[in-house]
Amino acid sequence: MKQLNDASSNRSNTVDTLTNLSLLQLLQIHDSAFPIGSYTHSYGMETYIQEDIIRTKEQLVEFCQVYLFHNVVYGDAILIQEAFHAAKRRDVAHLIELDQLCGAMKLAKESRDASVNVGKQFMRTVAPLMESPFLLQWKEKIDHEEVKGHYAVLYGIYCEALGVNVFHAIMTFMYASISGLVQNAVRAVPFGQNTGVQALHELLAPVEEAAETVLTLTMDDLANNALGIELASMKHEFLFSRLFIS
Amino acid sequence: MKKMFNPSKVNHFGKLEMAFEPRRGYTRLVHVYQQPPLKASRELYEGNHPAATVFIMESSGGMVAGDRNEITVTLAPDSQVKLKQQSALKIYPSHNGEFCTQAITVELAEQARLEWLPEVTIPFERAKFQVHTTIRMKESSTLIWGEIVAPGREMRGEIFDYQTFQSKYKIYVEDTLIAYDSLQFKPQEMNFAEIGLLEKARYIGSLWIVSPSVNKLPIRDLQDQIQQEKSFQASVTKLTDQAIHCRWLAKEQRTLHKEINRMFEYIAALL
Repeated sequence: MKQLNDASSNRSNTVDTLTNLSLLQLLQIHDSAFPIGSYTHSYGMETYIQEDIIRTKEQLVEFCQVYLFHNVVYGDAILIQEAFHAAKRRDVAHLIELDQLCGAMKLAKESRDASVNVGKQFMRTVAPLMESPFLLQWKEKIDHEEVKGHYAVLYGIYCEALGVNVFHAIMTFMYASISGLVQNAVRAVPFGQNTGVQALHELLAPVEEAAETVLTLTMDDLANNALGIELASMKHEFLFSRLFIS
Repeated sequence: MKKMFNPSKVNHFGKLEMAFEPRRGYTRLVHVYQQPPLKASRELYEGNHPAATVFIMESSGGMVAGDRNEITVTLAPDSQVKLKQQSALKIYPSHNGEFCTQAITVELAEQARLEWLPEVTIPFERAKFQVHTTIRMKESSTLIWGEIVAPGREMRGEIFDYQTFQSKYKIYVEDTLIAYDSLQFKPQEMNFAEIGLLEKARYIGSLWIVSPSVNKLPIRDLQDQIQQEKSFQASVTKLTDQAIHCRWLAKEQRTLHKEINRMFEYIAALL
């Protein structure tokens, strides 16, 4: 935890502070018990597990870091940031563009479908908890199939409505993504619970670093360099037996 | 401003504009504008088949820092075209820090069909390259597009010694963006061997197939067709009901090029 302190106090000096209530709300939506189905998605990791490429804690951490720095940072995280700012401006046209971009970047069908399905479940769960006309307007667009409803874009809109700052929105999203992968690996490899806890602990500082990187990025930086993960996600569809949907 | 310090260096600005149209049973190259080092060959035909095959030639032998290539291809309704680069695209070292840039813009009208045959892009050591490819097509048009990216001149031991390779590849069908493949490789900042990046692979092969007849290609059959060999990994996925993407991550070029050509021919024959 030592290495986390310095940077995070810097952060709270420069960005509007996280209120206690919004912190608790972020904790709630990223709790593994929050019913958006993250325990059903491995985003290609299961292919590696079946191919015996992820067998140790070190390999799991390596995989998660690549997923974080070469997929999430340059993909969903930039889109969350953009969606958050677009929501602040009430720029629906740009949000529609972001939703399309989010789907177009996810080449592997299962990862693309997962993004839409998690988004749908997220909307269904949070809509009754929050009075935000703008969020409801987006919900109507999803219901009328004017947009697909990708999770990252929706999450950006939601966090803006929640009143948290974009940095914490992105960092907690990343934490939840990585925590979900680690928990799924614990079940699928399998690992002991302690191995999972240690792996996730090792990934905390990288999560913070990754979230800080996103603040320096723009739409021009959108990329997916994690081609191995993408290919694994494509191959996942054809695996003989599977624990996870993606 | 940099040119002021290096007045002897004149950058190339290659331009190639090609417009195709069906005329009297064959697709003809009805308009061509070419600015060296880019050049188009004359149309070639296979027997009575209406499809025009045109070679794209690059007479300079490769791109040097600061060079730019612009290729614009327009297919009128019902045109059928096969385009092939005459050789691999070589990107020379960037001595002055400038990028080589290439823009490829393709527009396919109703029922038009374009085949872009797979060729290799080779970024040499210290090369900086940026390519933007944008395809705009109709629901009734067909695209079969292949490409390969090399890690460098492997025979010389140049493997991921380039500075930057950036590629943004976009396909729009009726103004909807259906695929956005964006790579930003900076080998000095990345460890390609890590799990999830390229691992043991060095070459990237991609195939994009968009056509109203894509439903004739059951995805599982395609996955079975794609050979799994020791030297590469490959898979196939659906982008939409009308679009398929195949990707290869390969250890070496020869088997990859052979395999991607084989799949290209296999799919082209079915559509």
